[in-house]
This record gives sequence, structure tokens and C-alpha cells, in this order.
Amino acid sequence: MRVSVFATCLCNQFYADACADMVRLLRHLGIDVEVPEGQTCCGQPAYNSGQPEEAQSMAEHTLKVFADAEYVVLPSGSCAGMMRCFYPGLVGSDLRVASLVERTYELSQFLRTVLEVDSLGSGLQGRRVAYHHGCHALRELGVKDEPVALLAGCGAEVVPWEADEECCGFGGLFSAKLPEASAAMADRKIDTLPDVDFVTSADGGCLLQLTGRAQKRGTGTAFVHLASALWRGVAE
Amino acid sequence: MSFSGPTNYRRESAKAIRDKPEVRDSVTAATRTFDAHRVHAWGQIDADRWRDWARDVKTHVLTHLDQYLEQAERQLTSNGTRVHWAESADDALTILGEIVREHGVESAVKAKSMLSEELGVNRHLEGLGVHVRETDLGEYIIQLLDEPPSHIVGPAIHRSVDDCRKLFHERLGTPLDADPDELATAARDALRAEFLAADLGISGGNFLAADSGTIALIENEGNIRLSTSLPRVHVAFVGIEKLVPRLEDVSAFLQLTSRAATGQPIGNFVSLIQGPRRSDEVDGPEEVHVVLVDNGRTRLLADEAAWEALRCVRCGACLNICPVYRQTGGHPYGWTYSGPIGAIIAPGMLGLEEALPLPHASSLCGACVDVCPVRIPIPELLVHWREKAVEQGLTPKVETVGLKAYTKMAQRPGLFSAAGAVLRHVPLGLGGRALPVLGGWMQERSAPKSSAKSFLQMWKEGIE
Amino acid sequence: MTARERILGRVREALRERDPVEHPGAFEGWRPRTPRSPVDGLVHLLEAAGGEVVHQPNLDAATSWLATFCGGFDSSAVGESVPAALRPPIPTASPDIAPLGVSVARGAVAETGSLIMDARDGRRAQLLVPTHVVFLRVEHVYATLREALLDMADDLPSAIGLHSGPSKSADIGQILVKGVHGPGRLVAVLIGGDE
Repeated sequence: MRVSVFATCLCNQFYADACADMVRLLRHLGIDVEVPEGQTCCGQPAYNSGQPEEAQSMAEHTLKVFADAEYVVLPSGSCAGMMRCFYPGLVGSDLRVASLVERTYELSQFLRTVLEVDSLGSGLQGRRVAYHHGCHALRELGVKDEPVALLAGCGAEVVPWEADEECCGFGGLFSAKLPEASAAMADRKIDTLPDVDFVTSADGGCLLQLTGRAQKRGTGTAFVHLASALWRGVAE
Repeated sequence: MSFSGPTNYRRESAKAIRDKPEVRDSVTAATRTFDAHRVHAWGQIDADRWRDWARDVKTHVLTHLDQYLEQAERQLTSNGTRVHWAESADDALTILGEIVREHGVESAVKAKSMLSEELGVNRHLEGLGVHVRETDLGEYIIQLLDEPPSHIVGPAIHRSVDDCRKLFHERLGTPLDADPDELATAARDALRAEFLAADLGISGGNFLAADSGTIALIENEGNIRLSTSLPRVHVAFVGIEKLVPRLEDVSAFLQLTSRAATGQPIGNFVSLIQGPRRSDEVDGPEEVHVVLVDNGRTRLLADEAAWEALRCVRCGACLNICPVYRQTGGHPYGWTYSGPIGAIIAPGMLGLEEALPLPHASSLCGACVDVCPVRIPIPELLVHWREKAVEQGLTPKVETVGLKAYTKMAQRPGLFSAAGAVLRHVPLGLGGRALPVLGGWMQERSAPKSSAKSFLQMWKEGIE
Repeated sequence: MTARERILGRVREALRERDPVEHPGAFEGWRPRTPRSPVDGLVHLLEAAGGEVVHQPNLDAATSWLATFCGGFDSSAVGESVPAALRPPIPTASPDIAPLGVSVARGAVAETGSLIMDARDGRRAQLLVPTHVVFLRVEHVYATLREALLDMADDLPSAIGLHSGPSKSADIGQILVKGVHGPGRLVAVLIGGDE
């Protein structure tokens, strides 16, 4: 089986190690991994800002880059949601788009629904973990049990968190346009966090937001991308 | 005190978060409770089918609105109700003023009505020398505080029990440590006299059945029933989008709205009003007036996408689930309707330029669309208004030009990764604040930490 | 042109190119489980909403129940349609001062736990009193609100009130209080069924 990794613009810059861990994880599962050259951005920032033409250009570009992929897997529920839910509306729902959209998965979704992975290893034995559900993974892709099951499958105790399904306040440009409300949303997440070894999520944007706010407030919480957490689950 | 408009949303929301942390606590607690009740109440029914049905009925009404308005007018008139048409808030207030003059109204009791807030009924009546009293307990509290409502269903949810204790101590003489029951009793006593003395009762209307001319109203306190039963004149302000084809359809909307709003099978009191007191009745108003209000609704109806927002039944479920609303409550939105629904109807009703901050007051988390009882595609409509803002040149240049440049780069991968490399090596902690987008980020958060090498670079070099 | 014509004109203009959508038909009240018997459903919901329910097998039993119940009140306001047998044996007072109101419901709705109060019975006795006793014949319980509204459609008074519990509010700090404006105590007396 062949997987084309779409690192996404944000994870490529800010969560490069997590992308690398995702490659290691997929290879560990016997997958032939490739990273198509020329990949950039899925177009979500433009789409959410009300610039559909720009988003459409980026979607066209991405479609071209991943045209030959057997599967496209992303370390981002938000970008996977953009492709699955909004590309057909932007680019048209022709066969080319429909088939790419069907082959596109967020990492945990791919591991559970395509590879049907139950347990990756026992590397997270004894670790207390909180899982943040990124909004688009949760509500656009319907990814809810997958990441939790995978973490638990590595031995982690996924601790209940009152605000686990609430938005972290990132929202792309929202975080810069309305920084006070955005930060208050992150505070609600941080203030309700149970005592855990680390917080993880399938979305780089959310992690960037939560990490940035936690550091500003001086809380020592550790935030780890799901790809890295799962690789630890295998490797340790 | 009234709303000053949505223009200053960012400043007002920042101020609320900074200066009134207790508002955030009250609002978060109240909305979480409302939402938990909704979840429970929807669990008892096949909520998806109810919502599909309700969406379709409302869409049907909106696509035949002229016919239903005419039918409702005929039926109301034959019931003995007087029908008025108001294009604007000014029209509606003029109509009200004429009724006040004709009947020599000196005092009025008001049932909770968001439309009457939208129109500015209280201020207008006071200007005419009419004593007007809000009778819903929450509305009464904020009337005494001289504040506008902060939530469609719970107008005073931004206020704590302690706030109410202090207020009632000053205004009604209750002890400072009075419990909520004592406070409510004091309010009941104060308001009872006003109910009995009032010449005019004012209400809104949750639904208006076209076939029977019935105005339907949902509540829990009984103040709506009293306001529409005791005074000799009753005026109901009804938005033109409140039409429902048949009285039998109202049966479902009463239940779905109650379940979505407060998690009850139905509000403890429902009024189904067909008109003025009949000859075989011992009490009830001698005159009933219905004012059908446009005030921006036909403008919203004309929008090719946002017209769907007119399905709204004002249950407040989208406010309750909204993580942005929860941080500030409703006041920073700057007009009557706050939260996600307010953000999508404001541009249509007030004009986009006036309302522009509101479509951006969302992280597009999508929680609202999952709870809307009439399935309004709220996130899509937020994006729709953002698109319109770009088309009309209302979005800051730095954003539109920036995104265009970004798009160009995104189609030239070499340039894209070169720019990424620059970004990774800029010491964001020092210079970030000066950058237009990063400035907002840096104000509230530590600088994002770039990876030492981009993933694409790592891939080229080989990943072990 | 009048405001009416201008509003209708703008509505028509807005709808000119919009596809009309059909009415989806009757509301079927979809519920995952078959509801309990109408009377049981009514009792369950009325009690859950904070109401009190008393069941009397026949009119005589209801009359003697009322005599005992009225012991705690010095006067009552009585609805126009209350039959002689159900008029409290205590002095009558106007609804704005009476501590007790007695009404007869036109019917009730099982799915919402609602008593149907007709304006012809007199609204003040239904609303101003702190304690409201409502008599109801069990055969007048409708399963659904839709059935009730369809059945009453040809004989609607100026107003119908659906009373589904006592007056309540959570507007003070989200803490539940009863008896804010309407009756804080609602007692439904079901008559019949066991005869």
C-alpha cells in the first residue's frame, strides 16, 4: 500500500518532527510512504477568509500534486476536512475530485478505518493523556473515537476532560483578528485541563494556539502532536 | 442603556474579557446548563427527523411568504384582530404611538420580546410618557440595571445571584442575603400591582399560524399570559418570518423550540391567541393588534444564501454552544441578536458594513450547525458574508492582498518553501508584533516556535 | 403605496428566482419508543415539571377530595365552567386576592404534559392565584398536541393556555424558583377511568 503524505503548510513549518514521526509510523506499519514534491497549502485560510477564487487555485494545485496518490494522509484534521468537505464545492464534483476526496484521510482516521489498527505498541503505558478534539476533525470528518482508541491502544490512559470537544480558539486568522476572544477560548481549555503528562491532538493549528497561550501564561503543560504521541507509543 | 451597534465588537469583547471575568463565568455556566438540557431533551425524540421537518416547513413558508402573510392578515382580521404593517422600527413605533394615544394609555406591561428590543419599544414609550414595565424576571432585572438583554432566552444570564441580591436590596428593599425565592417573591409583589393597573400589554410572537390567525407564545413564568390577558389592549409585534402555515404545525414548533431552548417538552405556559375577548368570555383584552414587522427582514430574504437564516426560531441553542459567545455573553455584539445567529442575520438586516465584525466573530468550529433545530447552515453563512465583504472591498487590504500573494506563492512550490525558510528564521519573538497578522497573535500568546528544518527539507535529507 | 404593498412587493421580488419548497406534510411526532398510555404520559410529565397530580375515580370522590383540600384556604376564585359539584365549599373571592383558583380543563395533552385552559373559563382565575386546581376528565386526554389542536380548530376561543407546570424561572443566577407570576402550585385532579 502506498501513502502520499500531505504535510500541510502549517505542520511543514511548525510540526516538522511530527510529520517525520508520521512517516516513521506509516513505514513501521509496512506502508510505502512518499511525499509528493510541490505540495503547499490546501487553501483553507483563503476559503475561511472569504476568498474562494484563491482557495480554488490552491485546491487545483493540490489536486494536481496528489493526482497519482493511492491514499493522501494528513497530520491535520482541519486540512483533511477542507479537502473532503469543501473541494467539491470549490472545484466541482467531477470524478477526479470525488476520487481524491475519497482517498483523503486524517492520520488517525486512516489508521483506524483503512488499516484497522488496534494497537501500535505499549509505549504510552502509564501515561496520562488528554485529547483535544480539533473542531474540523470532529465535526467535518466525524473523527472522534479513532485517536482516543489509538492512544489507549498504546497503553495511555486518556483522561476525561470537560472541554475536550470545545474549540481551542485558533480558527486560523480568527486568532489574529480577535486575539482576546481567541485567547479566552484557549484559557477555558487550559483552565479545565486535568492533571496529565501531556495533551495531544490531530491538529497542528490547535496545538500552536494552545502551546502559545500556555507558554504566555507560564503553565508548564506539554503539548504533543498525535503523530509524535503515537510514534512514541510504538517506539518506547 | 441601549446597544451602540456591532462596529466595536473587538474592542467591546476584549473589554468584557479583561474587565468582567465574572460575566464569562456566569455565561459559561448558564449556557452549559442550557445545552446539557437540550442534549437530554433531544435524546428523548428522533431529533434529526424533527429538525428535518421543521427546516422544511420553515423553508416552505419563506418561499411562499407573500401568500402566507396575506392569508394570516385575512384570518387575523376575521378573528377581530387589527393588523398593521411596519416597514421599519420607526413605522412600528408610530403605530404603537397611535394606539397609545387612542386609548389614553398611561402604563404598559411588557412580555419578553426580542423584536420589541430590536424596535426600541421601551424608550419610545417612555418618550410618550407611558410607564413601561418589563415583566419577565430576567428582563425586569436588566430593566432595573438599565442594560440590554445578553441572551435570547436568558436575558440576564450575565448577572450572578449576588448582583441580583444587591440590585433588589437597593430597589425593592430585600435583605442583602435574601435567597432567590425571596427575591422572586419581592419581584412578584412589585409587578403584580403593575399588571393589574396596566392599560396596555405588549408581546412578541413565537409563531403566527396563517390558517387560524393564532399568535403562539412560549414561556415559563406566566407573565406573557398575564400581559396578554389583563390589560384592555394587547399589541403583539411579530416579525414577518414568524409565519407557520397551519395551527397544527405550531404543535411541533412549540415542542421543538422548547426542547432546543431549555430542554423542556414544552414551556410551562403557552398562549394561543386568536383575538380579542368574545361576548361569551368574562375577561381578556378588548382589542388585539398585530404589527407585522419587516425592519430589514425582506432585505435578508433577498440575499441568495443568507435568507435561510430567517428560519430561526430564536431558541438560543447556537449561543449556548458557541465558544466565542461563552467568553463574553451577548453585549459586545452590539445589537439585539448576539452569538452565531446574530452574526449571520446582522449583515442582512443592518447592512454588511455596519455588521462586518460579526461574521468574523467565529472560529468556524461548526458547533452551532449541529444544534440548530431548523438546520441553518451557520458556518457556511459566516463564510458567505466574509466573501461578500471581500467582494465589496470592506476587508482590510493587508488581508486580501496578503492572501492573494500567499496564493500565488502556494502555486510556486519553490518560492513557497523559500518564504517558509525566511519565516522560520525570523526571530518572531522580537519582530512579530510589528507584522500585521502576527501582531494579534503575539499580543496574547508566546511566539510560535518554528521547526529547525521544514519537514519537506527533512524528507529530502532522508528520514530515519 | 402602503407599507403593506411595499413589504409584499419586496417579498415577491426576493422570491422571484427562488425555487419553492413543498410543505413536508403532517408532523408525525417521531419518537424512538412508543409512549406510555396517554394518561400515564400526562401524569409523568406534569409531575416532572413540578406539578402535582391527584387521581379521583369519579365526581363524588373528586367533590370530597376538594372539600378536604380547601381546608387550607379561606377563599377561592372559580372558573366559569366549573360544575356545582366541583365548586369549593369556601367563600368566593376575586382572582386577584383569592389564594386558590379552581378551573376545569378543556382537555390535556399527553406528549407535552399540558392542561388545556379555555378563555371561556375565565383567564384571571387561571393566572392570578398562587395555587391553581384544575379538574380534568381522563377521557379528555389527547395523545398529541397536534391531535388536540386539530380537534379544537372549529371551536377556538379568544385564547387557549397550555399549562404544563407551575410558574417558574431561573433568571436569578440560574437557580430555579417557583411561583414568579402565575400559580406556583399547580394541582391537576384527574377524574374517572377507574369507574
